Amino acid sequence: MQEATFLILTALAGGSQHGYGIITDVREISGGRVRLRPGTLYTALDRLRADQLVEPDREEIVDGRLRRYYRLTPAGGKRLRAEAGRLQAHATAALTRLNLAGGMAG
Amino acid sequence: MTDQANLERGYRRLLAWYPRAFRREHGPEILAVLMACAPDGRRRPGLAASADLIRSGLRMRLRPSVPRSARTVRAAIGLMYAVAALRTVYLINAVYVFIVLACIDDNKIHHMRLPEVTGALQVPPVNIAGFTVGIVGQLAVIAVWLWIARAAGQRRNWARTAAAALLGLATLEIALFFAAPRLITDMPDAPALAMLTWPVVAAAVWLLWRPASTAFFKPTGSTQVPGKS
Repeated sequence: MQEATFLILTALAGGSQHGYGIITDVREISGGRVRLRPGTLYTALDRLRADQLVEPDREEIVDGRLRRYYRLTPAGGKRLRAEAGRLQAHATAALTRLNLAGGMAG
Repeated sequence: MTDQANLERGYRRLLAWYPRAFRREHGPEILAVLMACAPDGRRRPGLAASADLIRSGLRMRLRPSVPRSARTVRAAIGLMYAVAALRTVYLINAVYVFIVLACIDDNKIHHMRLPEVTGALQVPPVNIAGFTVGIVGQLAVIAVWLWIARAAGQRRNWARTAAAALLGLATLEIALFFAAPRLITDMPDAPALAMLTWPVVAAAVWLLWRPASTAFFKPTGSTQVPGKS
């Protein structure tokens, strides 16, 4: 799973959000490193919708502009959980080995 | 016109790169996000934002969203794009060969007396008309494959039939190369291209007619008649 996709799903894991909300949330989650552009975001959302990991939630009009909210589907939640578990296992393995190597060096 | 209206018009123009159906459904929504993301005082879309919209729009046009579950269709679409890519590479090479051949001074070659080389180079002077027809034909075939790949992604059932028909033509083409080699084309290495693309096309057609693909093209429920089982 691409990092942008992972972060979009993570942004939606806390509840439904609209496009601009996802962009600001992803920036926050990644510590300002990942700045999604609208074109990229909607390409990813389209793909996620096709895979039924994400679905439109509700719409509202704010200042005359359309806001469509998206939410995680149960399949999306499952997929994100699996991916997060995988990343966590990798990170744990990396840190364990680094600590081991560090212990031997010191 | 205010800066904001100007900017919005610029974004609207960029959204034209997206497929119409997508634009109709998501246009206003993306426009709202674009306007929210734009820094204050911006009067026209920035270079990076424009590049992002153009790239995303083109990507969506060329690569319709096929669900991950429809593996066979995704693979078939990939193969069809591979055919188009192969033919594009071939076309570029053919144009290059054509230019090289056209630039060679005939007289010099005939004085070189290299029996094996002259055998290959006696073909010039190049048949420009034949070559032009060949290049236009190649471009048409590439366009047709891109079109069929796109249609397959949009669940158009005729795309499967069209792909099968093209496989028939490709088979016929190879048969003709064997039967009457000089009759077909003045393009260099055309038989090699035909042989190279045939298995790819055959694989794409096979994938498109698998039961798993049929489920994608004809979703359950749409063809069922109520009351009959």
